[in-house]
Amino acid sequence: MGCLLLFVTQLHAQDLAVTGKVTADDGSTLPGVNISLKGTTRGTTTDTQGQYTISTSAGATLVFSFIGFQTQEVIVGNQSTINVTLKSDVSQLQEVVVTALGQERKRNELVYAAQQINNEQIVQARNPNVMNALAGKIAGLDIKTNNNMGGSTSAIIRGYKSITGNNQALWVIDGVPVTNANTNSTDQQTGRAGTDYGNAASDINPDNIASVNVLKGAAATALYGSRASNGVILVTTKQGRKNSFDVTVNSGVTWGKIDKSTYVKYQKEYGAGYGGDGAKDQFYRGNLGSGEGDIAVFDADASFGAKFDPNRLVYQWDAIDPTSPTYGKMTPWVAAKNGPDAFFETAVTSNQSVSILGGGENTTFKVGYTRSDEKGVLPNSKLGKNLFNFSASFDLTKKLTISANANYSQVKGMGRYGTGYDGKNPNQQFRQWFQTNVDLLEQKAAYFRNRQDVTWNWGDPTAPFDDNGPIYSENPYFARYENFSNDSRDNFFGYAAAVYKIAPWIDLTTRFAYNGTQDMQEERIAFGSSDPAQYKRFNRGFNETNLDVIFNFRKAITKDINFSGLAGGSMRRSTENSIRAQTNGGMVVPGLFSLSNSANPIEAPTEAYRRIGVDGLYAQASFGYKDLVNLDLTARQDKSTTLSKNNNTYFYPAIGANFNISNLEGLKRLGWLTMAKLSANYAEVGNDAPWGSTLDVYDKPTGLGNIPYFTLRNTKNNPDLKPERTKNYEFGLESAFLNDRVGFNFTYYRSATLDQILPVSITAATGYAFRYVNSGEVQNKGIEISAYVTPIKVQDFSWTLNVNFARNRNKVISLYGEGATKVTNVQIASLQGGVSINAAEGEPFGVIRGTNFVYHEGTGQKVVKTNGIYAATSSSSEIIGNPNPDWIGGVSNTLKYKTLSLSFLLDIRHGGDVWSLDQWYGEGTGLYPITAGLNELGNPKRSPVAQGGGVLFPGVQADGTPNTVRAANVDGNGATAYGYPGNPPRAMYIYDASYIKLREVALTYALPQAIVSKLRAFKEIDISVIGRNLWIIHKNMEFQDPEEGLGSGLLNGAGGYQSGAYPAVRNYGFNVKFRF
Amino acid sequence: MKKLIILFLPFLMLTACVDSLDDYNVDTKRPSTAPPVTFFSNALKGLADTLTSPNVNVNNYRLYVQQWTTTTYLDEPRYNVTARIIPESFWRGLYKGVISDLNESRRLINADALLLPATKDVQLAQIEIVEVMTWAALVNTFGNIPYSEAMNPENPLPKYDDAKTIYDALLVRLDAALPKLESKGTPFGGGDLLYKGKIPQWVKFGNSLKLKLAMIIADSDPEKAKKLVAEAAPKVFTSNADKAAFPYISTPPNYNPIAQNMNSLYTSRQDFIPSATIVTPMNELNDPRRPFFFSTINDKYVGGQYGFLNTYSAFSHVSDKIIDPAFEGLLLDYSEVEFLLAEAVERGFIAGSAADHYNKAVTASITYWGGSATDAATYLAQPKVAYATAAPTWKEKIGFQKWIALYNRGWESWVEWRRLDYPKLSPPSGGNVPAGLAIPVRMIYPIVEQTLNGANREAAASAIGGDLASTKLWWDKF
Repeated sequence: MGCLLLFVTQLHAQDLAVTGKVTADDGSTLPGVNISLKGTTRGTTTDTQGQYTISTSAGATLVFSFIGFQTQEVIVGNQSTINVTLKSDVSQLQEVVVTALGQERKRNELVYAAQQINNEQIVQARNPNVMNALAGKIAGLDIKTNNNMGGSTSAIIRGYKSITGNNQALWVIDGVPVTNANTNSTDQQTGRAGTDYGNAASDINPDNIASVNVLKGAAATALYGSRASNGVILVTTKQGRKNSFDVTVNSGVTWGKIDKSTYVKYQKEYGAGYGGDGAKDQFYRGNLGSGEGDIAVFDADASFGAKFDPNRLVYQWDAIDPTSPTYGKMTPWVAAKNGPDAFFETAVTSNQSVSILGGGENTTFKVGYTRSDEKGVLPNSKLGKNLFNFSASFDLTKKLTISANANYSQVKGMGRYGTGYDGKNPNQQFRQWFQTNVDLLEQKAAYFRNRQDVTWNWGDPTAPFDDNGPIYSENPYFARYENFSNDSRDNFFGYAAAVYKIAPWIDLTTRFAYNGTQDMQEERIAFGSSDPAQYKRFNRGFNETNLDVIFNFRKAITKDINFSGLAGGSMRRSTENSIRAQTNGGMVVPGLFSLSNSANPIEAPTEAYRRIGVDGLYAQASFGYKDLVNLDLTARQDKSTTLSKNNNTYFYPAIGANFNISNLEGLKRLGWLTMAKLSANYAEVGNDAPWGSTLDVYDKPTGLGNIPYFTLRNTKNNPDLKPERTKNYEFGLESAFLNDRVGFNFTYYRSATLDQILPVSITAATGYAFRYVNSGEVQNKGIEISAYVTPIKVQDFSWTLNVNFARNRNKVISLYGEGATKVTNVQIASLQGGVSINAAEGEPFGVIRGTNFVYHEGTGQKVVKTNGIYAATSSSSEIIGNPNPDWIGGVSNTLKYKTLSLSFLLDIRHGGDVWSLDQWYGEGTGLYPITAGLNELGNPKRSPVAQGGGVLFPGVQADGTPNTVRAANVDGNGATAYGYPGNPPRAMYIYDASYIKLREVALTYALPQAIVSKLRAFKEIDISVIGRNLWIIHKNMEFQDPEEGLGSGLLNGAGGYQSGAYPAVRNYGFNVKFRF
Repeated sequence: MKKLIILFLPFLMLTACVDSLDDYNVDTKRPSTAPPVTFFSNALKGLADTLTSPNVNVNNYRLYVQQWTTTTYLDEPRYNVTARIIPESFWRGLYKGVISDLNESRRLINADALLLPATKDVQLAQIEIVEVMTWAALVNTFGNIPYSEAMNPENPLPKYDDAKTIYDALLVRLDAALPKLESKGTPFGGGDLLYKGKIPQWVKFGNSLKLKLAMIIADSDPEKAKKLVAEAAPKVFTSNADKAAFPYISTPPNYNPIAQNMNSLYTSRQDFIPSATIVTPMNELNDPRRPFFFSTINDKYVGGQYGFLNTYSAFSHVSDKIIDPAFEGLLLDYSEVEFLLAEAVERGFIAGSAADHYNKAVTASITYWGGSATDAATYLAQPKVAYATAAPTWKEKIGFQKWIALYNRGWESWVEWRRLDYPKLSPPSGGNVPAGLAIPVRMIYPIVEQTLNGANREAAASAIGGDLASTKLWWDKF
């Protein structure tokens, strides 16, 4: 009560009421501007119309402050109206950025690299996935999206550090770490089979974000402890402001179509078969209704068959379908009119969001809701998201503020895309095993006639429909509509916090945060499929609590020396609880997808119960001298349950300093130099082991009847694991010139991750497949440059250009073991096609190994074998590719004319290799144009070599003389010039993954204020036309999107592997934004 | 102020600190101890699965000996062993899937202070026999392999040992184990999926294995072979009932891997058909085993052309008996023992009548598969089958009939074919077949060994004369 009385008393002491309006320099009204009476604790904020009223007295000073604007002071005379125009503060160096644990620091106080982007830059192209919306915008943040609806996105900062562990940046929302787990199976990650269910950071509501700050180095992230060693993506959500009320509604729709430049083009000369044109078995013979005739080789999943001939009538796959108009009939042998690209539909995404921000005298609040409905490019796919956000704060007393934040997201997926080498991924058939005579729209009609698996790939050429079925590939429509998966992910994240101002120089924050996720995934294979009917389900609950108690200090030690700091502790506890089960050996009742419908008793479900606890103590001290020099000292100690007790505590320090050169007396007067800052820092971060890597346990396979089995696990655990450690230093130079029209930020960094805790693969001759060890060192070093320039800025027109560039060099310095048992290569994943992803001493992380070309010693040319095919090295462990890009960068342009604004973003990736299983198989089965057509003599490549056919590969014969041997290319079995059958060097299927993409385009028109104000209800109406991924300006892969990968998992080796790649999707649409 | 402290206190007391959370890193869903017999049972399944599977990624030996061929994909019948991870699956299947569990079983028995010494002896002997059999399978497939430094995860780079040295050591181990079977302790019972703890049959099994391993070195070390064969011969299998067979059941995952890969209950694939190489001579001899080996097409047994495209529907298929999920997986049978004895007589290792053993072997095979003794007698009466007249040399007579008797046991058949050099098999040629194909006489090391244990593999490769499918093992003299 005392506090309130005091407040009331003070009110009475004032005698002059001042009112006024605050506007921005562009004329717009500014709601929520803080107005304080200098020398007191009193103040107010402008209302929604930018109006304010404050009681004051003559001679007092009013301070007008607002983020993004220069603070202005006005001395009150005897006027009762004071209108103020605030100048926007474009200086990035003065901006306030949010750093670790939610501390707000001025940019010029930072001793490390951090790049912040605001809401506008994130949402301008209305990307529903925040992770994807960051692509190309931050120097050194390597975002790798994939074309899978709702699929996971990889976010790597400053290169891969962990050889087999997690490399993904940590997401922190309003100071609290949240899970971004990838729950996909190992098979999914290695391209074998499975569905990519996405990662949880994609559920963050973009419209709820105020800013995103990317903390790249260990010095910036050390306070977050172990998990931040891969960098931190710090999300600050919008907060309501006191005495304000603001409603924003966004409504938009986008459409997507596949980018055909990223899809297969098929040869149109030859149809189904393996036997080759003219072979005795290029067709089956039989009578399917209209007399004895040729029957297409249904069961061949290749296009190395007979040459197309419109005059030749052949029984094709539809002749077996009794409901087909061509049942029992022969049809012309021609290339399909509608190839697999006709399978892809128009995607539609609708996104509606409402966000309400506001506050009263002592309170602030925020309520947000976003609904997004996405229909993917594959038939029968949809993804729905409901995102709710709520937060509020209440000043309980003048000293105590309590706040709470709750975010709930509900994601429901239906028919997510299968990935990798999987019948549920239509690209497995379309890119690798297909017949060019199959018309997809006819397949569609055939499925919809009776919703059965009317495949093009019958197992028996003459059996009737009822006794027939697919041998390998389903009708792709059947696969989409019957063998679909569905899933849901419910994610709750929230906290309750209290901030108590103990004294003017110290306050105490306690915060209890909770993050809980429930995942449910169901996968099915319907009766009639090539595989036995099956139902699989996976349920996973994950929760994490974080308790933080933090003391914050801020005090001027002398007139020139400022001190700020914090000391605190955190306790993290997480529990993961999952169960995975599936039917066994088929099902009984068609259409009933339940475990109890299993044909055989089900095997025991796989249960997991994993708990982790980490306690941390941390402290930071920052000293500033005259805005000239800043010094930061940080220390943290963690104790983790995942390590043995004698090894479970680890301490790590960070130190950093900066020097604001431009604040030197002598330089302050230089007109052209706005800002210049040098910084340097060194930091270490420790990390614990994955759960369950110290103690050995057994697996229990399903026993035979009543005879139980136990077995040793694949992985040998290690009780002696010690914490791993990342050491990091960086130097930075930030500068701005000409009133901030031009500026740049340059960073050099070098990090080394030591004693990595790895489940290294070892030869099975040890009795295990993997073993946990502390292994070696991975080094990353590189530079990051971000720069901006505003070349034109006149009355109504401006043009701003932002450029970022990052170059990372990654190297595995050492692995483990000594002397005779020194290991120089760790295999990260063994992939289909005979290539592997490795960490090799002295090489970049993730190098691709396989057979290489043999180069002739004398001429240096590729050697061709006696059959005309390139010779392969006998060793399969040659390094044939490096998936890491040489550099990545982005260029964004914003052009503004009055209220019309055009922005576009180019995203560039230069270098990096990818190995394509699609080409490896698809060229071997004769799908691609290269496998047909004419050779250099003008003869059909598919004619026998004796008749002048075949393919002449450039190179030399074993003796060094130029190659004159044409490789046979007559059929799909051993005698193909391209692809897997000839067993050529794997290096032949390495591609350069460079690209330049027009990632985002947004044209936004803000209705002029004059019109908006007539509409009364509205404050602002923006109409945008947007496009995403409209144009791949440059790439070197002919039929693929080079960015496409298998999701954020590590096992596909930094994205160096493609299997069943999806085409890129061009999105275009519009959005309307209303502010009330 | 007090109220405020109360507000903060619950936060601080919510959680216990890490030191008191000892159970957090414990896997509460998996045990850290289990009965030793369960590892033994699992190892038996691992051994049976690896040797029985027709999966093209694991075991292609039925193709190499041309008992089967493929319909569409010709990589395997044309001996491409690097396309996928074929050697690795076999290698891993035996090292990780069999030997490591046998080792764990042994370790747990030895660590059990309460177990009677006699019981330890007999159980360890059961383990030892299966382990020797498994090591021998690895050696006879790859040649030099990691042995003395193997099975130690602390050493990720085990050296490869000389194949002959390992083999001799295995023979010593087997000899040491055999008497311990009869130590009167309690053997593995129900978990002994081969014999349910019947020691007399284990004794026969152990000695039959000894006979078999000894005969493999008959060309390279005839003296040792002779000694061991003579020791073992009186104690070997005497009827089909003695066979060592893994009792698959109809429920996955304990069903026969052939069914998994070939039965329409579990797959739509139609990869394999019997090869004309074996079907045609069996037709000529009116072999009574045909209905148990193959299906008919228009009442005839028709095999596909080995190593070329074959239309699945145009040829005989592998019989329903073989693709039955509950069809047993043979590890060692009476018929092959009799063939070995016939050979031992011919080589002068033991006394007796080779013809007699040969007749018993053929009869055992026919009756095992479902034919009658009369069928066998009729069959044997044919001049081309009868021992006296079948072929000019005993190697050819035995080699040919053993090849038929070892139908569906591709790996065993491949070993015997390399050793006996009969029947004469030719790699596919003509048409589009790449020139210079040769039937593998050895399996190359897993490709992954190049990246995981490169230097040691390299040394082994040069020691055996090249890591090639054409490098002959030390016992393969002819």
